[in-house]
Amino acid sequence: MSELIAEKQALATILEKFPFLEGKLEIQRRQRIISSALERPLFEEVFGFVTTDGGFDNFHLVIGVDDGDNLGFIYVLSNDDKVMLSLKQSAPKSNPAIKSVCSVFPNALWHERELVDLFGAIVEELPEGPTYPLPDGWPAGNYPLRKEWKVEYFDKVNMTYNPPVTAGKEEE
Amino acid sequence: MAKNLVIPIGPQHPSLKEPACFTITLEGEKVVNAVVGTGYNHRGLEKACEARTFIQDLYIIERVCGICSHIHSTTFCQAVEELAGVEITRRAAYIRTIMAELERLHSHLLWLGIAGHEVGFDTLLMYSWRDRELVLDVLAALGGNRVNYGINTIGGVRRDVTPELIEQIRKVADIVEERNKYYIQLALSETTLAARLGGIGKLSHDDAIKFGAVGPVSRAAEVPDDIRVTDPYAAYDEVPVTAITDNHADVFGRTVVRVLEIMESVKMIRFCLDNLPEGDIVTKVPRKIPEGEVLIRTEAPRGEDAHYVRSNGTDKPDRVRVRAASEANWHGMKHMLEGDYLADVPIIIAAIDPCYSCTDRAIILDNHDTGEQSVTDWRSLREYSINWYKVRGIDTSKIKIAYSPLIF
Repeated sequence: MSELIAEKQALATILEKFPFLEGKLEIQRRQRIISSALERPLFEEVFGFVTTDGGFDNFHLVIGVDDGDNLGFIYVLSNDDKVMLSLKQSAPKSNPAIKSVCSVFPNALWHERELVDLFGAIVEELPEGPTYPLPDGWPAGNYPLRKEWKVEYFDKVNMTYNPPVTAGKEEE
Repeated sequence: MAKNLVIPIGPQHPSLKEPACFTITLEGEKVVNAVVGTGYNHRGLEKACEARTFIQDLYIIERVCGICSHIHSTTFCQAVEELAGVEITRRAAYIRTIMAELERLHSHLLWLGIAGHEVGFDTLLMYSWRDRELVLDVLAALGGNRVNYGINTIGGVRRDVTPELIEQIRKVADIVEERNKYYIQLALSETTLAARLGGIGKLSHDDAIKFGAVGPVSRAAEVPDDIRVTDPYAAYDEVPVTAITDNHADVFGRTVVRVLEIMESVKMIRFCLDNLPEGDIVTKVPRKIPEGEVLIRTEAPRGEDAHYVRSNGTDKPDRVRVRAASEANWHGMKHMLEGDYLADVPIIIAAIDPCYSCTDRAIILDNHDTGEQSVTDWRSLREYSINWYKVRGIDTSKIKIAYSPLIF
């Protein structure tokens, strides 16, 4: 159990292709490999490799995180040895544009819609359809899982977000 | 030329037990397109967790689902314990496992009843829910509540099992095993049930992988993924687990997997009771959890639950992400519905065992005349229901049941 053979093998395959990722990927524990944040062009290249030749062809979920000035999107994938790879993409909050992975993994659809609604991500090539999970009439520009969005300023009855004037200016 | 008919089913519809909207396009009686819409029940609990401490979050997380509440709290506890670098005692791990398997029994029996109801076989609903009551009773005896048991705490469990409780669990396991033999026979040999469930809601082996199906839905398509085997948690590294698979890849297959899993759960419960280690049930965990991130997977009755927890070194999490099993199974729903008949839509939807909440165990009654409040617990409610039928000429107490009812 402690040898982590499958994990080391999976990591070596990725590092062989992308030697400069040394130090950015680490084996966290048994069955878990995590990555530091990668910016878009590089992330897409790595993602394209790991989901094909890298063997990580099972998609589990995307986790959106607020990293201050950036948004992080952690794609959780697994291979046939049940090793989970959490590959993290980073995008600036001012323009959080990422590319949809739905063409490769159709089960990413709702996860990506969730990123749009809750984090304000701009997911390019996302298939058309209903929004998820926020209700109709949700005020535009309100992304509840961003840290600056405070639940106490939200009026649930009228569906309006009313931050105090001083704090509001800062957030605008 | 006939025009296709578009039928919206939900968000409120008699055949749905939870709010979801299925926009079904029909060509004659056949479904040619299905659009699944959910989100009606989104409660923002991930945001709520960020504003509360880890221990407060545990009780929010337990309410993600009314049926598999224990497994969600187990997943969250494991995540926090891993972040804190705390290992729980083996006794606590075994008690968590016993609860998890009892929960699987109650969830699968509940599903079996719903499946029976959806195909017009209400006798099966009555039978399986009667047996489920025994499991709920023992869960209540263990955790103090029929749902949202609250037995987990960060660092272990809050209640120990006594020798008397162990005996009660054994009795219930025996009864459920005995009754389940009948359900297995029913599922495997009852021709009307096989005709009704076979061939509908197809999700092939390749499609199950493609759409990321989990739990009994994927195992019914010969995908042998069971987190208890592939990524053991709690005491599953010691408890022998057999992942049940089937090759029918339809609603029939999902039924077979679930009834056979009930047998496996009974075996696991017995193993845990036979090998329950001695020792403490709780380990101290600091209030402030060190910085870090962790992803924990567990096998809920409906499939893989995944929780991501990130800590920033305070007593509140920086981010909590919950991916419940049903969320994974909805993706293949459109595929499962297309090509089938409208009449099969309710059972196909029910076959993934979508989550919905259970009722409270007590109700508070307001007396409008006096303004007084009184509380009716579930035992009184049960007596009330028996008397309600009695005054209408149906005396359920005279019905002979094959086993002697347990009094808890």
